[in-house]
Amino acid sequence: MGSERDERGGEGEPPIAVELEGVGKRYDGTVAVEDVDLAVREGEFFTLVGPSGCGKTTTLRLIAGFEEPTAGTVRFGGRDVSGVPPEGRNVGVVFQNYALFPHMTVGENVGYGLRFSDPPGDVTRAERVRDLLDLVDLPGTADRDPESLSGGQRQRVAMARALAPGPDLLLLDEPMSALDARLRERLRLQVREIQRELGITTVYVTHDQEEALSVSDRVAVMRGGTPEQVAEPRTVYRRPASRFVAEFVGDNNVFEGVVAGESGDGENGDEDGDREGPVSVPVDVDGATLRVAVGGNDRATDGDPGIGDRIVFCVRPQHLRVGRTENGLEATVESAEFLGETTRIHLAWGDRELLVRTEDPLSGTVVVGFDPADAHVIGVDGR
Amino acid sequence: MSHGSGGRGGPDAPEHRRNRTARLRDRIERHALAGLTVATVAVLAVVFYYPVGTVLVESVVVDGAVTLGVFVDLLRDPFYFGELARLFAGESPLTVARALVDPDRRLGIVGFTAYQAALSTVASVALGLPAAYLLARFEFPGRRTLRSLTIVPFVLPSIMVAVGFVATFGRNGTLNALLAAVGLGPVELMFSLEAIVIAHAFYNAPLVARVTTAAWESVDAGAVETARSLGAGPLRSFLDVVAPQVYPAVLMGAALTFVFTFGTFPIVLALGGFELATVEVFVYRLARDLNYAEAAALAVVELVISLAVLGAYLRYEARHTVTSRGVRPLPRRPLVPSAPTAGALLARLGLGVYGVVAALVFLAPIASMVLASVTGGDGTLTLDHYRFLVERQRTGAAFQVRPWPAIRNSLVFAAASALVALPMGVVVAVVTTRRYRGRKLVDAVAMAPFAVSGILVGLGLLRGLVFGVEVAGWRIAVAGSAAIVAAHAVAGYPFVVRTVAPGLESLDRSLIESARALGASRARVLGDVELPLVWPGVVAGAAFAVAISMGEFTATVVLATGADAYTMPVAIERFIGRRLGPATAMGCVLLVVTGLSFVVIERLGGEYDGI
Repeated sequence: MGSERDERGGEGEPPIAVELEGVGKRYDGTVAVEDVDLAVREGEFFTLVGPSGCGKTTTLRLIAGFEEPTAGTVRFGGRDVSGVPPEGRNVGVVFQNYALFPHMTVGENVGYGLRFSDPPGDVTRAERVRDLLDLVDLPGTADRDPESLSGGQRQRVAMARALAPGPDLLLLDEPMSALDARLRERLRLQVREIQRELGITTVYVTHDQEEALSVSDRVAVMRGGTPEQVAEPRTVYRRPASRFVAEFVGDNNVFEGVVAGESGDGENGDEDGDREGPVSVPVDVDGATLRVAVGGNDRATDGDPGIGDRIVFCVRPQHLRVGRTENGLEATVESAEFLGETTRIHLAWGDRELLVRTEDPLSGTVVVGFDPADAHVIGVDGR
Repeated sequence: MSHGSGGRGGPDAPEHRRNRTARLRDRIERHALAGLTVATVAVLAVVFYYPVGTVLVESVVVDGAVTLGVFVDLLRDPFYFGELARLFAGESPLTVARALVDPDRRLGIVGFTAYQAALSTVASVALGLPAAYLLARFEFPGRRTLRSLTIVPFVLPSIMVAVGFVATFGRNGTLNALLAAVGLGPVELMFSLEAIVIAHAFYNAPLVARVTTAAWESVDAGAVETARSLGAGPLRSFLDVVAPQVYPAVLMGAALTFVFTFGTFPIVLALGGFELATVEVFVYRLARDLNYAEAAALAVVELVISLAVLGAYLRYEARHTVTSRGVRPLPRRPLVPSAPTAGALLARLGLGVYGVVAALVFLAPIASMVLASVTGGDGTLTLDHYRFLVERQRTGAAFQVRPWPAIRNSLVFAAASALVALPMGVVVAVVTTRRYRGRKLVDAVAMAPFAVSGILVGLGLLRGLVFGVEVAGWRIAVAGSAAIVAAHAVAGYPFVVRTVAPGLESLDRSLIESARALGASRARVLGDVELPLVWPGVVAGAAFAVAISMGEFTATVVLATGADAYTMPVAIERFIGRRLGPATAMGCVLLVVTGLSFVVIERLGGEYDGI
């Protein structure tokens, strides 16, 4: 741990930096987190994402040592850290509200952690402070008052302060959520860049799924105190492991139905017949029969679903194409939101709502359909 | 960091030594807070719980046997409980109730104490509410100064207030001089219930005003505006929105006033004479007559009643606390209206009348005291009284009260007790602002000295520590002056808690957590981050501790039995009976010294809304 270089690229994965095993935290009978099993690898940018109250911040606080778990173990590099106070864990923490010490200058803030440890490398404390202010693109601000800085600048000072003692682990607790949208996007790129440059293992907490997808190596989507899926952003987006993840990460159309026939019944959904594509099954959803690709490398389905199995699958709005007759659904336009590049249309199909993305606004009754291969099966429940 | 930025690239040996000292320092720091907490608990146990405990034990142990006899006798004695004593003696409640409504009813000492406390509470609320209205709803030059002046009674020694009242309402006081000037006969207000009630109002009305103003200012203007937009008139929106948020504060002011005035001592001792004695005064007399068991039992009865009132209030508060902090307070109106309407004029006329009354109650005693200190027996201006003090200092006999020892003792005790009270108060503030199970209990145990009477503490220290304790064959006795410092520290540290705790409580927790993640130990965070940020509160707390010690009379008078441990308030009390002139002169000296403490509090702008 603590290497300044990203050591990935050798054979095998980098070693585990932080590991949570069966971790739980209860406060007076209420469960904040439960059964959390996570492993963050060295140099990884790992994000905990979920709605408020999902336990993501508590998980971060358990790693930082601000809270002690009521069950399970937290390990740093294989070492059990229970009972180790925050000051003994060599972590850097950045909070949402910056938490800069108002009675100290910017330089004193950044240098505070260096009162307790020598700066890494062969530099003086003053040099280290200057280097870090340069790193976060705030050179020459050491003598300023934190109050005189803008929100984004304060956040970068907080970042510099957390990094100054050369922590093994950087913990970011919703560091952007007090900033406006545009600044947030710029800053998260900067954070990612700094993280890559230092190769520091980072755990990032956010409620913003878009932010999570854009910066992370891996994402843990949390709900009700437990991670529902831990995977790379693309996997989480394309192959959500649960209905909750499917609906939380991006827009989605989730269908529930019953398998109505054998796999391969009728023609394959793919027009390119000789391609080695996944086979599809007919699924009865509210009286309509939709073909859904199953098998392939979908981990959610081991083997083909049998007739009568309940099945949950999802289709992203951008895959629901207007005018496509395959898996065609006749729906009426309820409302439209103009988002700039696209328009999000809310459709009513029976008593279900469907979302589609188009470039142009729609009205009246339309037919939308999807390629069976674009449907992702979330779960199959054999009877 | 003694090496500064050095130590980098240096030879190995100093680096190694640095690590060792750093490790040692880490170890000390890690346990510093726990150590201070233990020390605080120990001090509290030794100078408060143990002495008070011995008094309580004394009330139930007679000749080595545990008995409630003393209490039973006390409860059945009409001298203490008046007609209620017959109830405790087994008579039917109906007979007692009939006797109580009879004009010839006897209240007894306890009954009278409660009666005067109730009257004082009514007077304090009546005098305090208009002030709160004025301070919360009107804008005028000097408003902020006036608001901070409401803290003055807390730093004014009660015995000095008593001197001021004697100088105002006494037979030869300012009031009678003024009445004589317009051809009216003298009025006898001294040694009357009225004098006591007015003096108590002087003391407690500002408290009512303070807490009420704070609550009124935290009413959100948006809530009132919403009520108005929904159709409520001005009066209706006041009753429905403002009043429910303000009156818990009024009740708190009233409850505290009742408890304070129920345990009143110096004011009644000085203004009540022999006819009007409260429980506290009687406990003092019993103790002086060496009747410790009865004194202890009476003190316990007093404590139970005080705690019952406080407890009832706290129960109420727990159910009715409105935590919403007004984001936008109600706008203040100018005191001089731009477009006078009948209603606006009437309100201001009322405030004008109130201003005159308030000026009389609050300024007259101080002004009279200053005036009396420079007025001779024949009514001419003179410095005789001050000259008397100087003379007494030069030629006074050893048994006589001399001014310099009193001033010196007051200053030394104040400095010493502040040095004890400050760390104690900070530690208690830190411990009680953490969140954990049992915090309420810790809070109650730590704040108990607020509610326990000074006589009880003084008596306990006298009996428990000054007279000596037998520990493993060794007799341990504490000097009277050390016991006084202890009593003052116990009386003062709750004020430190009250000035420091709100600041700590409102500190962003992530500041502390950031510092810890950066490597600071818990104690280090306290020193580096928390205390610097609540520093005004710490200084204000220290000033309070000094002022409380400077004005403390009750415990001091019990403990200053020795010839040379008396303080300025005790000196004033010893003068007051025989020579009002020197007493007022001494009072002026005390006024100057405590006034300086107030300046310190005011200058540093500490947060003392918690009090």
